[in-house]
Amino acid sequence: MKTLRFRSLFTKFNAWLAFLAAVIGGGVFAGYIVFTKGLVVTNLTDLVPWGLWITIDLSSIAMSAGAFLLCAAVYLLGLKRYQPVTRTATFIGLIGYSMAMLTLLLDIGRPERFWHAYVWWNPHSLLWEVTICITFYFAVLFLETLPIIGETTFMQKRFPSLAGKFESIHRLAPFLAIAGLGFSMLHQSSLGAAYGVLKARPILYRPDLSVLFMVSAMAGGPALTVLISMLSSRLTRHANVKDELLEKVSYFIGWVLVGYLYFRAWDTLSMTYTYEPGRTEGLSFLTKGPLAFNFWAVEIFLGAVIPIILLLTSRFRKQPRLRMLALALVVCGVVAYRWDTNMAGQLVLLTYLPTEMVTRYASYIPSLIEIMAGAGVIAYGAMAITLGIRFLKVVDHKHGHHTDEAAVFTGETQPAAAD
Amino acid sequence: MDKINFNRRDFLKITGATAGVVGAMRVAKMVSASGPEGSSPYSWAMVIDTKKCTGCGYCTLACRAHNDINPDISWNRVLEAGTVGQQKVYISRPCMQCKNAPCVDVCMVKASYYRPDGIVMMDYDRCIGCRYCEIACPYSARAFNWEEFDGENPAVPNWGSPEVERRPRGVVEKCSFCYHRIDRGLKLGLKPGVDQDATPACVVVCPVDARVFGDLNDPDSNVSRLLADHPSFRLRDDLGTGPRVYYLPARQE
Repeated sequence: MKTLRFRSLFTKFNAWLAFLAAVIGGGVFAGYIVFTKGLVVTNLTDLVPWGLWITIDLSSIAMSAGAFLLCAAVYLLGLKRYQPVTRTATFIGLIGYSMAMLTLLLDIGRPERFWHAYVWWNPHSLLWEVTICITFYFAVLFLETLPIIGETTFMQKRFPSLAGKFESIHRLAPFLAIAGLGFSMLHQSSLGAAYGVLKARPILYRPDLSVLFMVSAMAGGPALTVLISMLSSRLTRHANVKDELLEKVSYFIGWVLVGYLYFRAWDTLSMTYTYEPGRTEGLSFLTKGPLAFNFWAVEIFLGAVIPIILLLTSRFRKQPRLRMLALALVVCGVVAYRWDTNMAGQLVLLTYLPTEMVTRYASYIPSLIEIMAGAGVIAYGAMAITLGIRFLKVVDHKHGHHTDEAAVFTGETQPAAAD
Repeated sequence: MDKINFNRRDFLKITGATAGVVGAMRVAKMVSASGPEGSSPYSWAMVIDTKKCTGCGYCTLACRAHNDINPDISWNRVLEAGTVGQQKVYISRPCMQCKNAPCVDVCMVKASYYRPDGIVMMDYDRCIGCRYCEIACPYSARAFNWEEFDGENPAVPNWGSPEVERRPRGVVEKCSFCYHRIDRGLKLGLKPGVDQDATPACVVVCPVDARVFGDLNDPDSNVSRLLADHPSFRLRDDLGTGPRVYYLPARQE
């Protein structure tokens, strides 16, 4: 009896959790060092004040974009079939935003003052707008996730009336979808604009960044949602999917990537002939310099061109392995895009000396503490999603509990009670 | 039943609309309220004569002592900027106190703000340390407190003694035109730019009188007369930031 119980502890699931717990432990340790010693333990400098953590922050927000897109599709466009995918996307979104907030707390010098943005408003600041939108959107995601928690057998048995209240929030879904769409589109693009308004950084100072951040998030977010759904359906019996839904979403991602590549191509081309000091150098830093591999191989070829071929060709898309490969590449491409934008903007510096308007180059490689803390945040996200799949059944397309009774905007007005 | 429902909905609509309008007005007021609030008879500026500057760096050291700055940080930096004839030229760079300061626009909590007399100030109790202003500043005039500065200040007492509070870990700091010396001097009836006790420490310490400080609103002030009589330039004037620090060019005589 005892040996049996002992052996049952050594499951693949528990090994995975133990691995994540170890990485989280490392992250907690690194976080402790950061909070006690200060940001001096990072390799950030006054010339390159934003590094690895900002990339994780931007990426986890981009990867959460599946939530608002699928909610809009289901509750505003009336594509009811996708409702089970919404469930996964919303939960991933909630976890993604909590990862972003964790990273930000690490990154700012005075984390105990995070609330200052709510009291002292500067509407000129893109980061202020992003902070406010993220706060509201996190609340939206939280409300959207409550019905999932209310459905659990634990809640149903232990707190039936509270569980009922949680589930009843589902009736607000169309309104939450409208709010989510607004807040998401505002801050997903504002994160690009936060870089785009920096006149001091010639390579960043351009209006397209907001559009590119938005469109790349529209590809990366759903890609991660579909990838996690497919992976979990293969790894655990607690997840089950309707593959035709995921295939359709993947097809949509393929077309979003076409749009992204179109904007990206013109964005890059338009910078080619500016001859503006700093900008020309910034572009060559990206396309020929230290970031060239990231740019051409990871962002453009593997991150966009190959997935477009795999996702828009029905024969390839129908093979789960190729589709999963394509989705993973999309995720990597979007993360690489965030990293390259942040780095190119800061590593290429224009001097302010009158005699020579020359370009100087800074350098940045994350410190071990930064990597450990960053890995800890990512492991936290992975663990939360793993537990969500196991205990909250967030990847469960057979579930369909609410599909029929959920209020949906179909474009037609519902028969009013007064009539 | 229907009536009650209708009323409640109406009530919610009106409440929502009112809240929306009030919020929009508040934001509109804030957006329009960029630039300095209130008014001041003064408009402070600095003129640095690159022909005279020898690059000794006393300005940086006096600044560190008077403002109690970490030795790893320079509010005022002295940089080599080529040669004229056989002579090396130096650019000494305090904060430009821009008229259109990118750091003020990007700060999410308004910890950077304009004083009516044009000085770009930092509220160290409000700064959250996000460092967006550092990225936005074209002059790299800002420095972050990466760690606590709790040791002795090596610039004290040789170069002066601290006149302001030391900044804590985790906030961004920068040159303030020694606003505390100006304010105290004015209270004592002194004239900033003329009386040493009311003038920024870097200007007072300069051994070759390469730095001049004064009021642009006063046509007879040192800075006004220098700028009227000599050609001058500002750093990255093309950006439109409108620096309050002017330079006199070094030319071969």
